[in-house]
Amino acid sequence: MSPTSHNRGPDLTLVAEAAPRSDRESPAGRELDWSIYMARAQGGDREAYRRLLEDVTPYLRSIAARHFRNSCDIEDVVQEALLTVHAVRHTYDPARPFGPWLVAIANRRAVDALRRQGRSRGRELTLETEHETFAGPQANLAEAASDGRVLRDAVEQLPPGQRDAIRMLKLQEMSLKEAAEMSGMTVAALKVATHRALKSLRKVLGRQDRRT
Amino acid sequence: MITTPDLIESLVANAAPVRRLRPPVARAGGWLLFAALMIALLAVSHQVRPDLALRLRQPEFVIGIAASLATGVLAAIASFIASIPDRSRSWLLLPVPALFVWVSTIGYGCLINWVSVQPGSLPLGDEAGCFALLVLTGVPLSLAMLIMLRHAALLAPTQVAISGSLAVAAVTATALSIFHNHESSAIILIWNFGTAVLLVVLGGAFGRRMFSWVSPH
Repeated sequence: MSPTSHNRGPDLTLVAEAAPRSDRESPAGRELDWSIYMARAQGGDREAYRRLLEDVTPYLRSIAARHFRNSCDIEDVVQEALLTVHAVRHTYDPARPFGPWLVAIANRRAVDALRRQGRSRGRELTLETEHETFAGPQANLAEAASDGRVLRDAVEQLPPGQRDAIRMLKLQEMSLKEAAEMSGMTVAALKVATHRALKSLRKVLGRQDRRT
Repeated sequence: MITTPDLIESLVANAAPVRRLRPPVARAGGWLLFAALMIALLAVSHQVRPDLALRLRQPEFVIGIAASLATGVLAAIASFIASIPDRSRSWLLLPVPALFVWVSTIGYGCLINWVSVQPGSLPLGDEAGCFALLVLTGVPLSLAMLIMLRHAALLAPTQVAISGSLAVAAVTATALSIFHNHESSAIILIWNFGTAVLLVVLGGAFGRRMFSWVSPH
């Protein structure tokens, strides 16, 4: 069957090409162009069909953007609308305006997508950053917090002299002189206490590491 | 995910020439012609009820049959029009006045015949014959409608399925009242209308899925 035998209506001629440029950019002129492109596409004119689909894509995108914010969702609706236009292109009657036909299809697909999204939202949970976890232990903040607790517990269990030395010099970051004034210990005694404290902490934490 | 320009390219590559749909009213006419043919064939194979000439002189019978026929015709036209994307969904309300008259005649029939209902007035064999008639008319008409309206799968499947089922149900009910040789007792009327409601409910519940089997891809 030749492509022309499919046209039932009167033969259509492309009048818009002769029309002035400004007229073609008006919505009415644009819609007339689309109507003619679609009529030709129904007869199998691929070039007219390509121009039509490329022309209507931004328009479809603007319709989808009324319902969705996410650019992925918008593009999904645009693509589904294009697929629907393709599947039902035989239902378009060139005697009627093209705009309402296209808008009805686009709205239909947008509503379908909204419904689908509503259904999946009831069942699914979006993965937030706090749900993420990594293979390297250093990357997981929650683990680090519990490490800090272990260290504090270990410091708590040191003999009083060593515990004060560690707290003042390492946790509160005092100088040796300040710590000596505050605790009444000599600088040399503080140094020895710190050294011993670090040694026993290393031993305690090392043992815990092996256990876990 | 495929990008939109790629999608357009693949659609353009598949843009075979298509046959434009005829005007929806003409297509509804085609379906109604098929329904008339079905009923004519049934009239040849089955016998028309023997008291048809007598019943056609009773105004409530004539109004009832005219109302169910009008509901069928208008619902068919409404389904074909509303299945086109740019036509208003309000077309689906077209059969509502006729449907109202039909339901009223059934209600009236129930009211005046309520007393005459006697237990066992409907023999079991007749119910089977009634059911066979229903399937014989209902199934081909439903299939024809489903295939003719398959493009609606992507647009408004549920509404069009309900309206299409109403058309099938009303035409089937008309056929039943022509062929079924029983007094219009309340049971028959309820049976008659009950199947219509059942068909519409089934259409509403499964219409979307049935359309998705035949939808164009």
